[in-house]
Amino acid sequence: MRIHLAMLRSAAWLVPGEQRAEWLAEWSAELWYVRQSGDRQTTSFCLGSFRDAFWLRRNRPSDAPPVPWLESPSQCLGFLGLLASVCVLLALRHHQPDMKLPVTGPILAMLYMAMMALPALPALTSLRLGEYPANRNGWRWAFFAGKIALLLPIVFLGVLDLAAMIGLKIHAGPIHCILVGNVAAFRWALIDQRRRCPECLRLLAHPARIGMPSQTFLEWYGTEFVCVKGHGLLHVPEIPTASFRTQSWMHLDRSWSGLFL
Amino acid sequence: MVAEQKLSHTAALILMAVHTGDGYGFSVMEMTGLPSGTVYPAMRRLERDGLIRSQWERQSIADAEQRPPRKYYKLTRLGQATLESSQRRYPLLAKLAAVEGGQS
Repeated sequence: MRIHLAMLRSAAWLVPGEQRAEWLAEWSAELWYVRQSGDRQTTSFCLGSFRDAFWLRRNRPSDAPPVPWLESPSQCLGFLGLLASVCVLLALRHHQPDMKLPVTGPILAMLYMAMMALPALPALTSLRLGEYPANRNGWRWAFFAGKIALLLPIVFLGVLDLAAMIGLKIHAGPIHCILVGNVAAFRWALIDQRRRCPECLRLLAHPARIGMPSQTFLEWYGTEFVCVKGHGLLHVPEIPTASFRTQSWMHLDRSWSGLFL
Repeated sequence: MVAEQKLSHTAALILMAVHTGDGYGFSVMEMTGLPSGTVYPAMRRLERDGLIRSQWERQSIADAEQRPPRKYYKLTRLGQATLESSQRRYPLLAKLAAVEGGQS
């Protein structure tokens, strides 16, 4: 019984926090009944909980409000800038002159590690940023470039700082950590960019599920986000189809402004 | 008029088992022969799409029988309509209900 409960508790870590207690209560109760019925497949029953927990994690409603320090573009860049400054200061303090880097010079090494991480990126997230109006394209790309420029030193120096603080010399371990960190940082930058209003670059809010899977061929189904400043709606399809390949932006004109604060 | 969904055979089978069985996850597993890793995520999906709804049994009832309370699932009106259209689409589903009804 203990091993089966331990399996359920392990799977529960995958479940979003707000659903975890109820999920565990349901599975624990069902486990009790499975054992009472004399079913010998208790272990395979418990293994199924991982699939259920993973489904809940993948399909969690993303209705959490945007993190305040990332909401507006200035707040986001300010927060990343602060993190980058801390990493630079720590790097100056814990500088190890005998560190062996793959390329001579910290900036070249940082760019080299970033280039090494790029091939893995398409396997983890879509590289498309969506269909947006052409106006203010420059701001969007400048903001994206700013995020990347700040994320690179955060990951590179952050890992080196950590390695120096715990007394590790630069061998394979920290290099691999920088690679993984760069992939995660690029992935976050892309996902964050896709969740922003193309006009004010604020994080979009109030996601609402639209439609049903059976409507895929005639309609679209997925999630709709809204800009809190009333600039428009973002339609994100659940499955890319021939008629709805990627997320698309619907601009709301001034006549809608009465609905927004 | 509610928009009926077109369900896969497995989803329709689970919907049928929720309707004709005792309405909890393990009974659906026993009726359909599907593993827990298929049944529970499918039931979450059906609940998310508004075809079934869940309700916890009252603690006092479970305490009186010295067992943990169960979470029961019931079909909604949309679920009933979808099940009826699924039965027209998959005629063998009705046989499952007849077999299970005969066994109990």
